[in-house]
Amino acid sequence: MLSYGYHHSFILLIQIQHLSKSFGSFTAVNDLSFSVKEGEVYGFLGQNGAGKSTTIRMMLSLIRPSVGTIRIFDKDLSTERNQILRHVGAVVEKADLYNYLSAYENMRIFSLLSGVNLTRSEILYKLAVVGLEQRAGDKVKVYSQGMKQRLGIAVAMVNDPKLIILDEPTNGLDPQGIADIRNLIIQLSKEMHKTVLVSSHLLSEVELIADSMLIIHKGKKIVEGSVAALLDPALVQVEISTTDNLQTISALSNSQWAGQMQKLDAFKIILEVKKEEIAVLSKWIVDQGIGLTGLHSSNRLENYFLSLTSAHADN
Amino acid sequence: MQITKIIYVELFKIFRKPRTYIAFGAIAAIVGLIQLGFYADGESYMKFGMQSLEESFDVKGKILNGYLMAYIILQTLLVHVPLLIALVSADMISGEANMGTLRLLLTKPVGRTELILGKFIASSIYTMLLLFWMAIWALGISILIFGAGDMLILKSDLVTQIIQSDVFWRYLAAFGFASIAMIAVSAMAFFLSIFSENSIGPIMATMSIIIIFTILNTLDLPIFNHIKPYLFTTHMLGWKGFFDVQVDENNVQIMGSIENLRGVLISAGILIIHIFGFLLGSIYVFKRKDILT
Repeated sequence: MLSYGYHHSFILLIQIQHLSKSFGSFTAVNDLSFSVKEGEVYGFLGQNGAGKSTTIRMMLSLIRPSVGTIRIFDKDLSTERNQILRHVGAVVEKADLYNYLSAYENMRIFSLLSGVNLTRSEILYKLAVVGLEQRAGDKVKVYSQGMKQRLGIAVAMVNDPKLIILDEPTNGLDPQGIADIRNLIIQLSKEMHKTVLVSSHLLSEVELIADSMLIIHKGKKIVEGSVAALLDPALVQVEISTTDNLQTISALSNSQWAGQMQKLDAFKIILEVKKEEIAVLSKWIVDQGIGLTGLHSSNRLENYFLSLTSAHADN
Repeated sequence: MQITKIIYVELFKIFRKPRTYIAFGAIAAIVGLIQLGFYADGESYMKFGMQSLEESFDVKGKILNGYLMAYIILQTLLVHVPLLIALVSADMISGEANMGTLRLLLTKPVGRTELILGKFIASSIYTMLLLFWMAIWALGISILIFGAGDMLILKSDLVTQIIQSDVFWRYLAAFGFASIAMIAVSAMAFFLSIFSENSIGPIMATMSIIIIFTILNTLDLPIFNHIKPYLFTTHMLGWKGFFDVQVDENNVQIMGSIENLRGVLISAGILIIHIFGFLLGSIYVFKRKDILT
């Protein structure tokens, strides 16, 4: 019987406190703290090199933290590693398996190592969940990347874990493969009631599957919260271009939207408005005698994440 | 219980890899070729070797028998077997790192110490099976082809004759000793594999160390004489000691005796110290290793 840390009315399955990891002078993860509730799909978002994989590796004891504590199921990972990992399944980066063995044989040996002795029918059932029961006897070396990734998830589930950690599970997959993995994660959460922590560098991916999310950048936490709140559809960023931007700025400065202007220059005007205000805003601009040549609305967080990405690209 | 599961899984993986059978095939092929060569030209070869002896002794019976063949084969092959052992042992950790399966293994509730012990025991079992295979070919098949008899060992300055009933146990002991020597090689290759992410490096490093140490052994220079007793390569051919028979005051061989038993035991002891040294070193390094592959 597992007992976890309670916080208000929900159970915290993962509690990370002030986690840091340095490799020489390079700090990959910097004072990171977050928690994951039982039963949720938790999106772990960041660009490539942001520190996601290092954090996940520390959560699986593949890497020793420089500083900080990791508690999973209310147990300290540094002292109760094996007890914790009995209830965790993970795919870290690519699902690398023994290519010279069949899917069935891979499942068999990892079930033994996980402390469970699955019968043939149980292994085939788990392979059926990921749609591979017909290919159970095939060597993994003939599998496509998408099939390997699904097999990796099946291997992660051999011990019927309460927590599944997936590190960039859709990397390198074609659109169909991405959709398959996405549906599988939703199935794991909604039908099998697993807690899933999934990392990605794509906001669009996380947005589709996660209940909560964390964005990290250069090893530091940027924002954490429920996806619904962070991607609040009621509030959007509107980018406007007009026939005379300077006149538009002047007019907006004396309008009801004066406090909502975020970026103003001769080329770009950005405001944060409620979604239902977009039509009112566009009519108001036209009423000022200004020609509206472009209007683009987008989510605040998406813009923020894109700005991080572009800043990273500039670096 | 967990360690037995790890050993089972590791042996299962070892024997599902095609490269494992290269070693078994190579031993069968080399031994078979040596036997074929001696079967065809062995008598003339032995006559040439015995020319000087026949002037002093009246040699009767068949000198070239299965026991002598096994001795010739062991002397020839045991120098090369480390490469075949390194093929598997040097791959135990580095091969997993290369495939990316090491991180998957370590996400399972398997302790790092247990994993190292399980892998090491599995690679030692493979080493012993390889030597057992070699014994079947070098001794069993040779006796079937060439028959049994007293064993005559020709050395540079003396000839030893061991009567037939006193030979077989010596081979059992020799193969036992050779197993310890080869497990020491396996332990070194295993230790080196922890530092690498592909198996070529540790295989090359293992062979390079053996070659360098063997060269140091052959150089009769005072500077190296102090370290020679501690090099495992110095003791790898200690199995030959089982074929040096003790004689009594009348210069008659003592059945079941070993001339320098203490020396053989010291050699075995030094090899065992190396095995435990490499194993403990492997555990120490691996427990502190960040898995970044």
